[in-house]
Amino acid sequence: MSGVDGLLLSPLLILATGLGAAFLLGLLHPRQSGVAYGLTLVALAWMAWIPARWLWAFVLQGAAPVEILTAGTPPPFAINLRFGLPEAALTLLVNLTGLLSAIHLKDVLLNQGRRAMAVLLVAVMALGGIILTRDMFNLFVFLELAVISTAGLVLLSDTHRPGLALGAGFKYLVVSQFISVFLLVGIIFAYHATGTLNIDGMAEAGLANVAALAFFLMFIAVVSELKPFPANGWALDIYESAPPAFSALFSAATGAAVLYAADKLLLIGGDAWLPMATAIGIVTFIAANLLALPQTHDRRLLGYSSVAQTGLVLMVLGQRDILGEATPFIAFGLLVSHAVAKAGLYWLSGLVQERRLTDWAALGRRPLLVFAFATFMAMLTGLPPFPGFYAKWELVHHLAGADRLVLLALVLLGALIEAGYLFRWFGYLLKREAPGGETAPCTPHKLVPVLAALAAGWALAWLWGDLFGRVNLLLALPLLFALAFLLLDWLPAWIKNTLAIAGLVAYFIMTWGEYDPMRLIFAIIFLIGGALTLLASYHAHGRRIGFYPAAMLMYAGMVMLIQATSAFEFFAAWELLTVGSYFLILRGKASEPHALSYILFSLGGAFLILAGFAIAAAAVPRLDLAATGALQLDLASLAQVAAPAAPWVFLLLAIGFMTKTAAIGVHIWLPGAHAEAETDVSPMVSGILLKAGLYGLMVLLLAMGKQQLHGVELTHALLWVAALTALLGNLMAVFQEDAKRLLAYSSIGQMGYAMFGLALMNHLGWLMALVFVINHYIYKSMLFLAVGGVAKRTGTREMYRMGGLIRLMPLSFIAVLIGIIALSGVPPLSGFGGRWIFYNAIMDSETRLPIVVLFLAGPVAFLYLFRLIYTIFLGQLKDELRRVKEAPFWIVLPQMIYVALLLVFALVPGLALRQVDAYLDRFFPDGGLRWEGGQITSQYGYWDPIAIMIVVGVIFTTLFLWLLFVNRRAQMVKQFNIVFSAERPYRPETTHFAWNFFAPYRKALGFLTQPLATNFWGAVTDLLHTAGDLGRRLYDGNGQTYAFHLLAFVIIAFFIGMGA
Amino acid sequence: MPGIAQLAMATGFLLILIGFYGALTRRNLLRMIVAFTVAGTGVNVVIVSIGYMHGRTAPILDATLAASDAAARIIDPLPQALVLTAIVIGVGITALMLAYALRLYSQKRTLDIGRFTELKG
Repeated sequence: MSGVDGLLLSPLLILATGLGAAFLLGLLHPRQSGVAYGLTLVALAWMAWIPARWLWAFVLQGAAPVEILTAGTPPPFAINLRFGLPEAALTLLVNLTGLLSAIHLKDVLLNQGRRAMAVLLVAVMALGGIILTRDMFNLFVFLELAVISTAGLVLLSDTHRPGLALGAGFKYLVVSQFISVFLLVGIIFAYHATGTLNIDGMAEAGLANVAALAFFLMFIAVVSELKPFPANGWALDIYESAPPAFSALFSAATGAAVLYAADKLLLIGGDAWLPMATAIGIVTFIAANLLALPQTHDRRLLGYSSVAQTGLVLMVLGQRDILGEATPFIAFGLLVSHAVAKAGLYWLSGLVQERRLTDWAALGRRPLLVFAFATFMAMLTGLPPFPGFYAKWELVHHLAGADRLVLLALVLLGALIEAGYLFRWFGYLLKREAPGGETAPCTPHKLVPVLAALAAGWALAWLWGDLFGRVNLLLALPLLFALAFLLLDWLPAWIKNTLAIAGLVAYFIMTWGEYDPMRLIFAIIFLIGGALTLLASYHAHGRRIGFYPAAMLMYAGMVMLIQATSAFEFFAAWELLTVGSYFLILRGKASEPHALSYILFSLGGAFLILAGFAIAAAAVPRLDLAATGALQLDLASLAQVAAPAAPWVFLLLAIGFMTKTAAIGVHIWLPGAHAEAETDVSPMVSGILLKAGLYGLMVLLLAMGKQQLHGVELTHALLWVAALTALLGNLMAVFQEDAKRLLAYSSIGQMGYAMFGLALMNHLGWLMALVFVINHYIYKSMLFLAVGGVAKRTGTREMYRMGGLIRLMPLSFIAVLIGIIALSGVPPLSGFGGRWIFYNAIMDSETRLPIVVLFLAGPVAFLYLFRLIYTIFLGQLKDELRRVKEAPFWIVLPQMIYVALLLVFALVPGLALRQVDAYLDRFFPDGGLRWEGGQITSQYGYWDPIAIMIVVGVIFTTLFLWLLFVNRRAQMVKQFNIVFSAERPYRPETTHFAWNFFAPYRKALGFLTQPLATNFWGAVTDLLHTAGDLGRRLYDGNGQTYAFHLLAFVIIAFFIGMGA
Repeated sequence: MPGIAQLAMATGFLLILIGFYGALTRRNLLRMIVAFTVAGTGVNVVIVSIGYMHGRTAPILDATLAASDAAARIIDPLPQALVLTAIVIGVGITALMLAYALRLYSQKRTLDIGRFTELKG
């Protein structure tokens, strides 16, 4: 301790430096702006260094917190300050933000001269004072200082949009006058009641019981500085109009400091006042996010988001009674995520010239800035590996543990809305055209703060992983491998592709011994299958910036998913693969809305999964959350979840996983996402990614089995969902004009089959599901590549614009032919094996009606498959397509490998299935298959793939030869050997046979494909937007209205709070 | 019969209410600022009234008041110290608001708070 002391400077120097430097600035000559600016920066850096050094001492050298007595007297006779770990962390945050903002503000500060610099220094110093002081009146003084300096800065820096910021600053002063009246009156009565101004003294004296009203006034005054809904119009105006660097300070630093002040007040108030903090926090979180939805102005949107995040942290402080020791980890996790990300985004907004969200497209062509934006966005939405993710995990678990489920649901709802507008914004950034193609000027002093925030974000990610104590995601090899591609992005695509393939294969070789037979199938598909799909990516030229980090992030997530043993690892992997695939899908030309819909459904599903895990962890008997301090739930212990919670856990998890498999109702994201993706991405997100959802369902069903909810057996309900998914997915595929959309809808149907097999909950059902997993990977990857190749060559995905391509693209034709034979389930290919197992499986099942529905889906598949091959490859060749060549080599090569794989899998299915069949005996002892030589026997019959192949081959050859023989004299009719009518119809495609190919079927069955789900989700989105729009009308821009909001807020809080 | 302290406190709160009323209903920036100073004065009166103790003397140690029995004979000096601080801060804020009013007026030639509503929603 003493060895440490010598190196540490008194924390009072933080305040003294700020004040002293501000004073010194006054001594300089007014024209020495440069010197003044240098002095300001040095002072701020020094103010940041002191707490940084202390933080180091607290964390690594075990220094003890210090009490700083002023006037040489202990409290209550003099003001005292405290400097411990939280104070050090917060002052570091505040002072660093101040320093970086000063760098960012260079132009404004040099222009305005030393006065503005002095005010900035005082502002930062005041925030430090708010954090350090333990004296109530001193807190008031520092708060007022912060207000004055903030308003002063706004006044001085009102150059960006003259007049606007002035109005905002005045509104701020009006509101803060009301606040300071409340605070002062509260303080004096609190002093009267307790005889002390010391915060700890007030807490000891039980102020909140002795003089509740006095406490209420102080508390509500401090909380009002946190911009709670609806008393926050003034803050939003400042956020919108002030220079961005200043908003960064206001959002990150002021928010953090005042939150800490609120925390001190809650210390006085005790448990009785926690519910009020919670209520104000959560209402603000939800309302501000809702109001942010319809915003189009970037800085105002960030303002709403700031308000929301502050509300969330306040809510966490209000949950201290159940969070206990975990409170700092969670509160700081959310706070630093918010502060770093929000400051980063505000600084970033300085690089964008116009203020609409869509104008951020100007950044779209700068990979580094896009990466920064993505990082900040991930931090705000609590995605792994950032601190918010760990914090969210802990928070949700504690809430579930204390049975505060409504609060839990509200937190997740608000987070989802926030993700909605942030990801929408990211879509604009990447996919919109920059106005006039201009990019904002990128001077170093505007860039440095952004990059510093970026670095801080990743450092904090590592730190929180370390503090979390169990799994540091940033040490996971697959994730590191994916992140390494960020650093390698300057390499040409083919080198990165080779590295990626080598990495996937090498990781499989390293780990294949770890998997049980079921997981091995997934591992092969994810890793080896992923490598195989990447062969097609050799076709891409240039550097393909951003592709490999995204793709490898998805693969990393998937492999971590199957390696996960605990719920935490599983969930983290789930979010990683979701984010990776989102970035990947977003790369498609027209995929902006579809990628957004994908990420929102996926995050919604992920939140359900998170809630499910949390409730499960609370319901597993052995887990004493408080005692172990660990919320580690093994996936296996899902089986022990006790009765009342179990079916709900099952339901939450199942729906969560089904958003990924695109079960009917939550399927609407899939067609666009898969169809609009790039040629080599479609197979990845369809053939491979969909399996993650199935894997989740398998883990869930193996652990929890059959569950009853209100007398309904949930696996039975799952059967129905699966059957309807299969039928409707297939049916919708039939009516598509776009070949890739057709394949996408077909995937929905195929996933329905696989889910059906799982929901049967018998041995063969599961085996069938695994056959579907393998088959679907192979043929859907192959078909997407084939169709993608055709689309590349013909320049269209609409099938009626194609036709007759069999001679020009024979290899693609072969791939499609083999693919649809396998998919349709007719002999001799592997699809038939799936069917055979399926028929055996349903013999074992007691249910009948869903099976009928599923049977109906079978023939429907023939319709779209026929359409696919017929309209693309057969029929008449279009004139403009006469010169079309075969698809590029690198796109054809994997298809040919897939053809070979399909044939092998058809002939010797035992290679892949035998092990897993034996493995399934553990869970479903009855009904396994016997594997003898090439023959496979069930209790109902046998299947001999090789014999079938021979039989079918012989019949086919015979008929084919016969056909050739009878047609030997037939005359080949050339394409233009007929007379067309002279007229050209208005819309030529409407007379084309391939347009609306199945019109009669559409007449008969079209009602089944009404976009009910699309309409439903559209209505939900509209509702949210309308609510947000209505809420915005509260803020009419008048300072007196805002003051009235504040009064109304205080009065309502008073009646609700005092009443309770 | 209410003592002087109660009377002062009631006056203080009345001033606060008058100030709030004025700040919420007057649309002229200068009148709002005046209203706030009224409210501020009210707060100061309230603070002083809290510190007042009947029958005691001012907290000044001199020949007539020995340090030894000061605690029993003087009123609580702290609220007065607080009031001094609060007055200083109040002056600062009032000055700042006046500066704002000046700048706002020079930009729009009006002092009506209802005219500065470009930012909203």
